[in-house]
Amino acid sequence: MGTDRYAYQSRLRRVSPLPKLLLTAVALVVCLCCDSVAVGLATLAVMGVLVTALGGLPPRVFLRFLKVPLVFLVVGCLTIMVGSHPPDTPVLAAIPVGGRLWGVTAEGLLLGARIFCKALGAVGCMYFLALNTPVTDLNMALERLHVPRLMVELMELIYRFIFVLWETAANIRVAQQSRLGYVGLRRSLSSLGTLASMVFLRAWRKADRIYTALESRGYTGSLSTLTDAYRPGWGLLPLTALVTAGQLGIWLLERMAVA
Amino acid sequence: MKQTTVRTARAMALLIALLGLTTMSASAMHIAEGMLPVPWAIGWGAVCVPFVVAGFFAIKRKVEQAPRAKILLAMCGAFAFVLSALKLPSFNGSCSHPTGVGLGAILFGPMTMAVLGLIVLLFQALLLAHGGLTTLGANLFSMAIAGPILAWLVYQLLRKVKAPAAVAVFAAAALGDLFTYVVTSVQLGVINGGMVKFLAIFAVTQIPLAIAEGLLTVVIFNVLEKYSKDELRQLAVL
Repeated sequence: MGTDRYAYQSRLRRVSPLPKLLLTAVALVVCLCCDSVAVGLATLAVMGVLVTALGGLPPRVFLRFLKVPLVFLVVGCLTIMVGSHPPDTPVLAAIPVGGRLWGVTAEGLLLGARIFCKALGAVGCMYFLALNTPVTDLNMALERLHVPRLMVELMELIYRFIFVLWETAANIRVAQQSRLGYVGLRRSLSSLGTLASMVFLRAWRKADRIYTALESRGYTGSLSTLTDAYRPGWGLLPLTALVTAGQLGIWLLERMAVA
Repeated sequence: MKQTTVRTARAMALLIALLGLTTMSASAMHIAEGMLPVPWAIGWGAVCVPFVVAGFFAIKRKVEQAPRAKILLAMCGAFAFVLSALKLPSFNGSCSHPTGVGLGAILFGPMTMAVLGLIVLLFQALLLAHGGLTTLGANLFSMAIAGPILAWLVYQLLRKVKAPAAVAVFAAAALGDLFTYVVTSVQLGVINGGMVKFLAIFAVTQIPLAIAEGLLTVVIFNVLEKYSKDELRQLAVL
């Protein structure tokens, strides 16, 4: 599902999750703090290179993932860009409505572009983590970072159950579709409602059975697993410094160019 | 005069492009990664902390009383994730995903929703790229705290005044859904201005979706009531 499949195939899969988490966090924060078009685009490019070159993901797949948040970004940024202005403002494109101009000014365009590029860079950072680190590894990392045990356990269980329920839901959906269950709005809603409630019901009963199975194997309230053997991934630390230095360098260059 | 025509033509082209996007934007409810400036991202995260902590201790108490609750809660969390990944048909022909805000709040209560919502939103960001890591706080507040609390209040209130169950469920789900969008619009609009613009865009796409989600939740509830009275009683819904 989603990024998960690729995370397990990544060449960085065996690297300890902590340095990967650090690189993502630092690059993300720097990208957001700089708030500039150039840094955003550069961060995206660097993350694209890291994911494809280090992680071994086909560039085509990376581009496909990049399209996912694009709709929200485009709509959000266009909404910020377009506004109503007094009739005598210098606008790039506008329609006069009720004595005011509705359209885009140069500053609005710049603001929108800045948010758009910054967000793209941030999405790139997030993908570096998501496409190289399976959720199971991330849970281990969270436990090392002293997130409460109950929280991590809930995460592990939810992660596992998502796939179980997903399969159930997909099977029911195919069965409904093959009986024309999704023709027309009325029938779609009723089919979807049946599907959701059946998935809930099965989830509930399955949870009951899993609990019984656990109890019969000596479950006392916590599931403990052994940590995987990871490569330490020291190489990612200088890389983090390098990426940060590059981002800050571009930011300074851009400021000098503007000033 | 000529300049005005060019400007109008450009604006028209933009407008048509925007209209084309409204049907696509239907699923755009999670604030995408990087849309919020750093202070706002931290601020929304901080607002969520007390709710999550309170929810966490509520869950902890429940689990200590009955260890079975942990597995059940985990199943509920996974159910919320799967529900939000299903495609929901809407009146204007577009497709979206149900939020599960109303259903979750009615079934599990708003306290539990905050914690389960945190985990589900984190997984949605990482696995599906819906939402993001820095916008987790803002999304958590709109979808797992504000929306569910309103939905839960509406449900309790309507049940108190002896409204039919279907009406209460529909109102809770539809209003919870809408309120989530209002909060999201405010979150986006408060930064650069233009709250009204975001509300207007969301209103076009979200009112039909909220109605669709309300109807869907009623259907789900009817089936659950028919086949799983015991489970609902354990959750203390009925």
